[in-house]
Amino acid sequence: MSEIAPPPAEPPAPLGLYAHVPFCASTCDFCAFYQTEPTAEGIRRFLDGVAAEAGLVGWQSPVTTVFWGGGTPGLLPPPDLRRLGETVRARLGGRAVEWTVEITPASATEARLAVLREIGVTRISLGAQSFRPELLEALGRQHSREQIFRAYDRIRAAGFPSVNVDLMFALPGQDEAAWQADLGEALALAPDHLSTYCLTFEEDTKLWVKLSQGKVRLDPALEANLYEATWARLEAAGYAQYEISNFARPGHACRHNLDTWRMHEWIGLGPSAASQHAGWRGQNPSDLDRWLAGVAQGERMGEERVALTPALLVEDALVFGLRMNAGVDLPDVRRRFPGAPWPAVQAAVERLVDGELAEESGGILQLTPRGRLLADAVGVELLGVFTSPAAGRGSGEPG
Amino acid sequence: MDVSLTRNFCIIAHVDHGKTTLSDRLLEYTNTVQMRVMTDQHLDSMDLERERGITIKSHPVTMTYRAKDGKDYKLNLMDTPGHVDFSYEVSRSLAACEGAVLLIDAGQGVEAQTVANAHLAFAQKLKVIPVINKIDLPSANLELCTRQLEDILTIPAEEAILASGKSGIGIVDILEAVVQRVPPPRWAEYPQARILVFDSLYDAYRGCIAYVRVFSGTIKAHDMMMLMSTGQKAEVKEVGVFTPKMEKCASLGAGDVGYIVSSIKTPSEVKTGDTITIAARPATEMLPGYKEVRPMVFCGLYPLESDDYEKLKAGLGRLQLNDAAFVYSSESSIALGFGFRCGFLGLLHMEIIQERIRREHDVDIISTYPSVIYHIVKQGGEQIEVDNPVNMPDPGTILEIREPTIRASIIIPNDSMGDMLALIMEKRGVCDHTTTLDMNRVMLSAVLPLNEILVDFNDRLKSVTHGYGSMDYELGDYVPSDLVKMDILINGDPVDAFACIVHREKAEGKGRQLCEKLAEIIPPQMFKVAIQAAIGGKVIARDNVREMRKDVTAKCYGGDISRKRKLLDKQKEGKKKMKQIGKVSIPPDAFIQVLKN
Ligand SMILES: Nc1nc2c(ncn2[C@@H]2O[C@H](COP(=O)(O)OP(=O)(O)OP(=O)(O)O)[C@@H](O)[C@H]2O)c(=O)[nH]1
Ligand code: SF4
Ligand SMILES: [Mg+2]
Repeated sequence: MSEIAPPPAEPPAPLGLYAHVPFCASTCDFCAFYQTEPTAEGIRRFLDGVAAEAGLVGWQSPVTTVFWGGGTPGLLPPPDLRRLGETVRARLGGRAVEWTVEITPASATEARLAVLREIGVTRISLGAQSFRPELLEALGRQHSREQIFRAYDRIRAAGFPSVNVDLMFALPGQDEAAWQADLGEALALAPDHLSTYCLTFEEDTKLWVKLSQGKVRLDPALEANLYEATWARLEAAGYAQYEISNFARPGHACRHNLDTWRMHEWIGLGPSAASQHAGWRGQNPSDLDRWLAGVAQGERMGEERVALTPALLVEDALVFGLRMNAGVDLPDVRRRFPGAPWPAVQAAVERLVDGELAEESGGILQLTPRGRLLADAVGVELLGVFTSPAAGRGSGEPG
Repeated sequence: MDVSLTRNFCIIAHVDHGKTTLSDRLLEYTNTVQMRVMTDQHLDSMDLERERGITIKSHPVTMTYRAKDGKDYKLNLMDTPGHVDFSYEVSRSLAACEGAVLLIDAGQGVEAQTVANAHLAFAQKLKVIPVINKIDLPSANLELCTRQLEDILTIPAEEAILASGKSGIGIVDILEAVVQRVPPPRWAEYPQARILVFDSLYDAYRGCIAYVRVFSGTIKAHDMMMLMSTGQKAEVKEVGVFTPKMEKCASLGAGDVGYIVSSIKTPSEVKTGDTITIAARPATEMLPGYKEVRPMVFCGLYPLESDDYEKLKAGLGRLQLNDAAFVYSSESSIALGFGFRCGFLGLLHMEIIQERIRREHDVDIISTYPSVIYHIVKQGGEQIEVDNPVNMPDPGTILEIREPTIRASIIIPNDSMGDMLALIMEKRGVCDHTTTLDMNRVMLSAVLPLNEILVDFNDRLKSVTHGYGSMDYELGDYVPSDLVKMDILINGDPVDAFACIVHREKAEGKGRQLCEKLAEIIPPQMFKVAIQAAIGGKVIARDNVREMRKDVTAKCYGGDISRKRKLLDKQKEGKKKMKQIGKVSIPPDAFIQVLKN
């Protein structure tokens, strides 16, 4: 299979489709995603639910990118994968530009991979996290180092055009040498894409409990060093950073995520899935039963519901868009959201540039490497500049 | 009224020489307080006194003692504070007595307040009974103490009584000496009633309660009394004595110490040092009063939570009711919000008021650096007083700045002489006189700027003398001085709470120290933040706040956007609570941390 087809010159607004498969074999210590135990009955209800929910969406344009996350989509038995695939395929205008499925090393069987390949999946994301047995153990992962290699070989053998490997760093007990060793092993596999995630302590996870009990400690200085070391090493190895945690060989950046960060629309299906569509942003209930009950009544994305205003979208296009190395195309954002309070935007931009956290050239605003390490602080700086009552006045109704 | 069986005396000494402990023994021996309810340092009844183990206010108590001559004497005792900040309490107590028991800690010998308080007693022509206390201590040096008595205080050694408040030694000797050596109450024969107000207390239910010593005449409930300084009349509601609790009695007569509750509610109307007389037959000459105590040290007090402003205001008001030496007025600061400028007698007084606000009024507060009152002569001769550096006029308009000095008496061991002189010099002082007290000790007399002893002088004194040095001081003259106002700027914006008036030669050192401290305490910032110390726009020291190293979430996909926004929003809210100095947001407690040390 060749490279992913380049987007057309003047593309219609992209539309993403995200499906959340809420099943995991066990719960990893760091994980805060919604997931539950996979039972045959649960899976059946889930698949019925996704089909029903898809029926509720007012599809106005064909889906351009697909992403199956979780949970562990790769845990579904091959026939169920096929069924979920059918639901998705019905919404594609032909073929997806990109279709990603997350797989864990333990579930990457040849039969599953064959089905995925067949239904049109283009990209596999392999949740390796680490190659060190003691770190995998510490994360509560259910796979071995050997399973990673075997899974990777099978994925490659199945011929997917693009393969990502997920890694985590700043794990308890992992020093820089250990992280470099993991990076080295991942690079030796020569994936098309690498995601390297600094360990985040999410509330309600086992790790969070350990942190609050003082059993593990945060070390932002070490984390910063690991970030910088990662960026340098992957750059040298031919992987261009395109977002805080994402690196790709040319042509392999994840389109689906790029579109999200640019505040394009996407439709999320499944429990806990978020959508940004038709003037609203919202999320499905993080519970299989409640989600199903909602869908049965014709309801979706009913939680955390906010109307999409130009001001909100500009703000998010900046807050989240700046996480990308390509930065934010200010004139483009302005064209898309003309109602936003531009003087306030410009003032915020100047503050960041003055503080050497960002650079602007030819309308493109990009974070400096230091700004990238402080992307959250930058976000706080930008937040509310547009959506505060004062700034947002006259910025228009939900678009 | 027969006053021959009454004796009024106080116990005076250097801080911690055992006044209150000895009082305990006297109360016990005379059965004034039942053993059953007796507590250590019984007269230190305020929480803060008990906690700190020091006396802050003078405490009166009336005891009955059957002397060896077989007669029952009424003894009015006043326990006084030893700390220099409260020497005005000692003066007031002395004015209500005919005698003073002067304690000397046998292990420490004569110290600065021993000398100062003895001189106050001599000046009031009181009979002084020297007592060498704590003789139970293994380190007791009786020979040294008696020699010091003679050499330093010119009190004949044979007058000294040996005692231990702790072990109960010498109690009867002291009581007998009070009966025999202290003269009966003075001026009892004066034809009209004259009653000295030596303290007052505000009670929420009863209004102002005056603590009094009756010199002549009697006073009882329903009498019409008159305050001689103002001519204000009021009806007496109740009189009583201290046992040491307030205990109502029928009347107070010549020589008695007790309290008067009247129809006057406002404490400021009953001035300490005033003379009360009976309105129907008023006296014409007042008793000698006190010179009014004036606050010498000022600082800003701010609530940590701005919502507590009203609570703080009410608390200060209530404290002032019982403490005329404490003054306050409202002020505001960019860094700290709305608060109060407060004046105190000294640092300990300041500390105590702050603690009482925190404790009794449950308000968390922060104080700015202490300052003194500067006299500023402006071009054209106008003179103004400034107790807050922020109010310093433009330097171009100033002809001269004058600062208050103190005259200090410092008693130190001989071998600390070099270090002590160096310390005095460092603090811009001049030592103009030294007296050899004995083989081991000298007394230095020095003039120092008050502003220099505010912060750490006492600690430094203790440290260079290994704990053996002590100091007493009185306010001296105002002298011209080369002072400047130093501003602290954060990214170019002045932070008023840190402005201070310093001697030009010390500005750079102090500026550097402040900048360093702020740079260390302000949490890492995302923007570059410069901290500068400047005099009139000229930067004399600078530092940088640490830069934030990492603040980024690793994962941020479609489903995370709402959650992420919430987290950022929360951070943003947190930021709003911070003090905004220009572009820089600083947690309020960062200033507090710096101000704390
Ligand atoms: N060994 C010994 N210690 C004593 C004696 N009297 C008092 N102390 C101790 O000395 C310390 C100070 O005693 P206080 O009675 O509070 O002294 P004070 O003079 O009232 O102190 P201020 O009121 O703060 O000036 C306490 O720790 C007492 O226990 C004594 O006779 N012998
Ligand atoms: S990290 Fe992935 S596999 Fe582990 S519990 Fe979370 S969703 Fe499941
Ligand atoms: Mg005492």
